[in-house]
Amino acid sequence: MNIKRSIVLRVRIAFILVALFAGAIFYRIVHLQFMEGEKWQAKSETLNFQYKQVTATRGNIYAADGSLLATSLPFYRVVIDPMMAKEDVFSKGIDSLSYFLSSHFKDKSANSYKRMIRDARSDKKRYVILNRTQIGYQDMQKMAKWPIFRNGRSGGGVIFEKVEKRYRPFNNLASRTVGFVNEDKNGAGIEYSFNNFLEGKNGKALFQRIAGGSWKPVFDAEDIKPDDGYDILTTLDVNIQDVAESALLRHLTNKDAEFGCVIVMEVATGQIKALINLQKNKDGLGYGENYNFAIGDQGLTEPGSTFKLLSMLALLEEGKINLKDSIDTGKGTFKFYDRNMNDSKEGGYGKITIKEAFEKSSNVAISRLVEDNFGHNPSKFVAYIEKAGLDKPIDFQLKGEGVPYFKKPGEKNWYGTTLPWMSIGYEAKLTPLHTLMLYNAVANDGKMVKPMIVQAVARGNQIEEKYETEVVRRSIASSKTIDQLKELLEGVVENGTAKNVYTEEYKIAGKTGTAQKLIGGRYTQRYYTSFAGYFPADNPKYSAIVVIDSPKGFAAYGGDVSAPVFKEIADKIFAQDLELNEKENDKTYLTSNSGTFPMIQAGKMDELQMICNKFGISNHVSGETEEEWVKSTPVNNAVIWKANKVDSPTVPDVTGMSLRDALYVLENKGIRVVYQGKGRVRGQSINPGSPVNNAYVINLVLG
Amino acid sequence: MMENIKIWFDRNLKGDPIIWGIVIILSVISIVVVYSATGSLAYKYTGGNTEKYLIDHSMMVLAGLLVMWVAHKIPYKTYGLIGRFLLVVSIPLLLFTFLFGSTVNEANRWITIPVINKAFQPSDIAKLALIATLASLLARKQKNIDDFRNAFLPMILVIGLVSGLIGLANMSTAVLLLSTCLLLLFIGRVPMKYILMVVLVGGLFLTTSVFLGQRGGTFFSRIEKFMSGDEIPFQAEQSFIAISTGGITGKGPGKSEQRNTLPHPYSDFIYAIIIEEYGMVGGATVLFLYLALLFRGMRIVASSTKPFGGLLSAGLSFALVLQAMVNMAVAVGLGPITGLPLPLLSMGGTSLVFTGFSLGIILSVSRGDHQEQLDSPAEGSNKVRKTFQTA
Repeated sequence: MNIKRSIVLRVRIAFILVALFAGAIFYRIVHLQFMEGEKWQAKSETLNFQYKQVTATRGNIYAADGSLLATSLPFYRVVIDPMMAKEDVFSKGIDSLSYFLSSHFKDKSANSYKRMIRDARSDKKRYVILNRTQIGYQDMQKMAKWPIFRNGRSGGGVIFEKVEKRYRPFNNLASRTVGFVNEDKNGAGIEYSFNNFLEGKNGKALFQRIAGGSWKPVFDAEDIKPDDGYDILTTLDVNIQDVAESALLRHLTNKDAEFGCVIVMEVATGQIKALINLQKNKDGLGYGENYNFAIGDQGLTEPGSTFKLLSMLALLEEGKINLKDSIDTGKGTFKFYDRNMNDSKEGGYGKITIKEAFEKSSNVAISRLVEDNFGHNPSKFVAYIEKAGLDKPIDFQLKGEGVPYFKKPGEKNWYGTTLPWMSIGYEAKLTPLHTLMLYNAVANDGKMVKPMIVQAVARGNQIEEKYETEVVRRSIASSKTIDQLKELLEGVVENGTAKNVYTEEYKIAGKTGTAQKLIGGRYTQRYYTSFAGYFPADNPKYSAIVVIDSPKGFAAYGGDVSAPVFKEIADKIFAQDLELNEKENDKTYLTSNSGTFPMIQAGKMDELQMICNKFGISNHVSGETEEEWVKSTPVNNAVIWKANKVDSPTVPDVTGMSLRDALYVLENKGIRVVYQGKGRVRGQSINPGSPVNNAYVINLVLG
Repeated sequence: MMENIKIWFDRNLKGDPIIWGIVIILSVISIVVVYSATGSLAYKYTGGNTEKYLIDHSMMVLAGLLVMWVAHKIPYKTYGLIGRFLLVVSIPLLLFTFLFGSTVNEANRWITIPVINKAFQPSDIAKLALIATLASLLARKQKNIDDFRNAFLPMILVIGLVSGLIGLANMSTAVLLLSTCLLLLFIGRVPMKYILMVVLVGGLFLTTSVFLGQRGGTFFSRIEKFMSGDEIPFQAEQSFIAISTGGITGKGPGKSEQRNTLPHPYSDFIYAIIIEEYGMVGGATVLFLYLALLFRGMRIVASSTKPFGGLLSAGLSFALVLQAMVNMAVAVGLGPITGLPLPLLSMGGTSLVFTGFSLGIILSVSRGDHQEQLDSPAEGSNKVRKTFQTA
């Protein structure tokens, strides 16, 4: 058949063509192996490729209000592949590029830059590091517009190699709490404890080793894209942290103490609002955040009198005592077996009520009460410690938590004196965080919540993991007991060892502690002073503990050393916290509102004058100079403008202004503004006249 | 025992036993080499779990063989119709993929089948469908093959449309498909002057889609680089190192070093890895297996009694083997880098299924008994074996 034969013939021709092609392939293999073999084998030895990590961008750490506590900033190394630029681009741009490089880095003349790049180009080099100095993002943006560079990586050969550096916008603020991670993945604080989230997942890319030991990426894109790290949103409040840190620092310096720490916690949620650890620097100059005494192993100490709260809790829960019962403390000394228990007051307190004994922190009274009621069965007392959750680590979000130490009845080191001494906070070890957790539970009506410092892990606005408040014990004692404990703690401030911090404005409740330090097995004349408590006592919002170790000078008791720090912090928080201050603000608003012209309160003078003139309200300027910003005072039927100095370098008074004006004034000073409500500014969370700090976030209430 | 196996084979694996043999040998080679070549891939993505790719790939190879077996059971005449149906389906699919498909290396070539969650390239379907349709058109117009308007015009329109659409996203596949079609036209006795015309029209279509499409720049820059020859691309350089260090007998199974630096050692450059591990001997064997496959496909043309069967078999065999040749040519540096996988050997996911499908069709033609059943059911199967032997 003609057709078929023709088709078969054509197929055979096609087959022969393909077979020839296959022959060519085979020939190439032979050629590659025998003719070019040495060349490629040599090349395989010189070329050095390796998959290297492409590090992921580390996540940020934020304070509760969104201010940055730690972030990674990109820096760049400027590298050029001198072969990439086409001849016309190169010859046109090389002179000005060299000039720009020279004037930026200021280390070589324009000519030597030019020579360096030119030589590299004629040597067919593919990778030249122009300068080892790393540049910032802004500089990188600027450089990307320079001649040759502006043609990009493929047209101009410029490579900006990214290097990341960790940056803390607030410098040392909470630096130990924010922490660090070193290259061996050791570290401390949030950076270390949440490293899994923060570090992200590194990518991989093929790199080629080039002369000089540098590695150059072979392709533009990574083989495996890095997964950037998650952000950590802490519960820290930058303002409270700042206030607490400066208060602690001042007192530490005054008392020349060894170290101190402060924890401020929100009662209902257990969220830590501030966490400060200051330790005398090794060179003896100033204090620095070197160790987390509030949480870590080294912070474990005999708590001293703050622990008496637990003794009272145990006694009251047993129902064996009444606060009004009296007890004879004698001459301030009581002998348990071979050891004397002493009160701090020479000569003793004599016969006092149990309430007074707690307020005055009588060791004799508390230890006798505990010994009388639990001496026959000390395990029962220890059971109360366990019930309050103080005997175990709290599984805090930061790693490296200290493990509490309590002796157990029946163990070898349990002596007859152990129980009385334990009842006043000796022969046991706790971290400040544990003690605070107990006080917070009392403030929280017996509900014990777990302290927390990280509230969420997120990427952008996407929440990856949210940490809710954890309830450790629904109730550590009956509500009757809790009420009595609260009464006791308030009494300490009203009548007892912390009388010096009593204030009429709001109620503080708390307990002082002064523990003799055990050094080398002997109690010394050095003290560990503390104050744990909460405020406002009527409706507790914050609890806090202040610890100051080894203060020098005469007044070395907890009431003299630590309580004032607590008061200072509480005062500032109280003044700033609008929720706590609500009633106050209402009052001032009403008085200022009693004038005739409620709507004209503060603003730009020319605008306010115009409005008044339109409405026929007589208005006058007090003083002579014309001011841009004014506040109004109604006098009879007229309005008097008083200068409002918003351009002084302090936080301006924006009350009475419209939100638009207040935003303009505040943000021009670099203060971030948060506001609630509608209308004119009714209150501001930072007092006028305070120095401006760029980290400030001001809260405005409108109404 | 052996007897039983033979009987089982005779009963279940119909068609050219040599093609079956070649396919099975290549499948085994494929599993072994891919296992070795995915080392770096497994290291990078699965944290060292190399078995993941071994299992995935083996499953796809088996799926390919299964599809091949099913396809060879179907009388080949049906493929004229199936081909046309698939062609109609593939055109919107190609457009859809171009517009919405998932992106690999900046070109939309893949769409994912929802239920089984496997991505496939619609160009695989289109390729198969076009060849089957073309074979059927050619077969029907054999009597008046010189008729430009009635015979030639429909063919060239279909070829132009499909290669143009494929070319939007995947220029290498489009060019290869166009060349295969030209070869098929030549085999199908279309006058040379018309074929030259197709070259022109096809060229026009391709250039247009280059400007419209996504990867035109890549395509031409690769060709330009290859032609100028002053700079050997990274991939080629690594491939040459693999081939030249392989020697005559190779470094041994699983001993490849270049798999760590050569991009896509399990697909585009698998031939270089084969030579590196099994030497020139291994490379020549693979080359020979493909030629043998083509040779058996060609024998079917001679043995088939109807032009459609012969043209179908020729078209599919050439499509498969030409792609293999192009892939191997790239590995040894005879052509610019195309990114085409080596059929039957590369780790190609669903592509293996379509390769299996076209081999099944070739086998279906080779059976002959389908033909006999359809044309003259009276004749027994003895005759079939005989045609085979004489072919």
